[in-house]
Amino acid sequence: MNWNDYKKAVDGLPFDPDFQARTIELLRRQAREPSKKECMTMKRKTIQRCVAIAAAIALLTVSAYAAVTWLSPSQVADELGQTALAEAFESETAVFINQSVETGDYRVTLAGLVSGRGLSGWQQDLDQSRTYAVASVERLDGAALSADDLPPSSFILTPLVSGYTPWSLNNWTLDAGVSSMERDGVIYYLLDVENLEKFADHTVYLAFYEGGSPSQQSFTMAADGTIAFAEGYEGPHALFILPLDAGRADPDAVEKFIADSGFDREWFVGQPSGAEEPPVPESGEQDAPGDTAGQKTEDSLPAVLQ
Amino acid sequence: MVPFGTDETICRIVREYSPMLLRLACTRLDSTADAEDAVQEVFLQLLSAPVAFRDAGHEKAWLIRATLHRAGDIRRRAEKRNVPLEAAASSAAPAEDGALLRAVQALPEKYSAVIHLHYYEGYSIREIGKLLGLPAATVGTRLARGRDRLRKLLKEEIE
Repeated sequence: MNWNDYKKAVDGLPFDPDFQARTIELLRRQAREPSKKECMTMKRKTIQRCVAIAAAIALLTVSAYAAVTWLSPSQVADELGQTALAEAFESETAVFINQSVETGDYRVTLAGLVSGRGLSGWQQDLDQSRTYAVASVERLDGAALSADDLPPSSFILTPLVSGYTPWSLNNWTLDAGVSSMERDGVIYYLLDVENLEKFADHTVYLAFYEGGSPSQQSFTMAADGTIAFAEGYEGPHALFILPLDAGRADPDAVEKFIADSGFDREWFVGQPSGAEEPPVPESGEQDAPGDTAGQKTEDSLPAVLQ
Repeated sequence: MVPFGTDETICRIVREYSPMLLRLACTRLDSTADAEDAVQEVFLQLLSAPVAFRDAGHEKAWLIRATLHRAGDIRRRAEKRNVPLEAAASSAAPAEDGALLRAVQALPEKYSAVIHLHYYEGYSIREIGKLLGLPAATVGTRLARGRDRLRKLLKEEIE
């Protein structure tokens, strides 16, 4: 076997000859109407559905209660074939959260997470420098969801860190992946992301929402670094705070992460909403302050969540 | 700062990078339609995020990394419904045309990306290190281990 065979095979891949033209057209439309809800992609093989989002979103309700019928984080990891991770979720280092947010027609629950040194000594296929979180989504009316209802390509589960712009520090730059599965009408997500503990001296969030990558249309960052969904954000959305141990923060590692990223530091620390216009040519729209006021906390968050 | 929202830049970036990013996505995905979806989403991300690139090298690096991340997401979603690609490839007849591509697709991402960038795109180990944000030594190690895995998958020596 030689590499010419490889090149020949790659060159023979049947890409759509119109890909560039339709992609340019899609991007032009998005550039003209950045706030318009569009499907993220236009599949060639199938016409991708555009989900109509109810304009009115009920008050977000945060509550903490025991999950008695849901799969545990360990069971979710096991179902997804991550047996070593399933064990990690049963270890003392795992954190069980079981905090739920009701948004639109859904209840979103952050079940638990495990990360960092707590994974050391586990099987080799578990990267020691990763953070794993399990979340679930179910319909409030009890109707069953199918895996295709909330695909990870359209519903984003991403960490965000206060003080760092949501569009710079998220799934995309933190080498994250999300797996999902359906069981008994509930959709479960397993987030696998670069270790978040190094950011633990900041508030670290886990955001769930429908849409694309975090942007200035979807999030705001206040002067104190607090991140919130943009005012009037449409579609199901929830923002959790991860109970990370601040003692495990590693500012040097964060600086190295930023330096190694290849991007300017200014992109990460950005500018708070309401400050000078961010460097976004053409579209140039500035988001309004976030809608944290629209969230109501029914039960006090456990101290570990504060 | 790349003014990506301008028509001129949209056309330039799509035309300049699409072929490379589509090929790269196909090292993780066996469906060209999925690869096209992944690359479109990366361009949309670039449109929505005010990314400040220092130069063209950083622009390319960002697009490559984002494409690998997105393709990886799509692959993980597909794998839970299908036979793991590595297992499928190992049971496939290696002598068929395209067997090497299928074997590369079956490798873990950390190996397939460096192998593709080196053997198809022609980047040096040092250049790949800059593109992926890795030390050159790590790239070299991944290249060697990736070749070893390919040998096992294909059950023959690669010169």
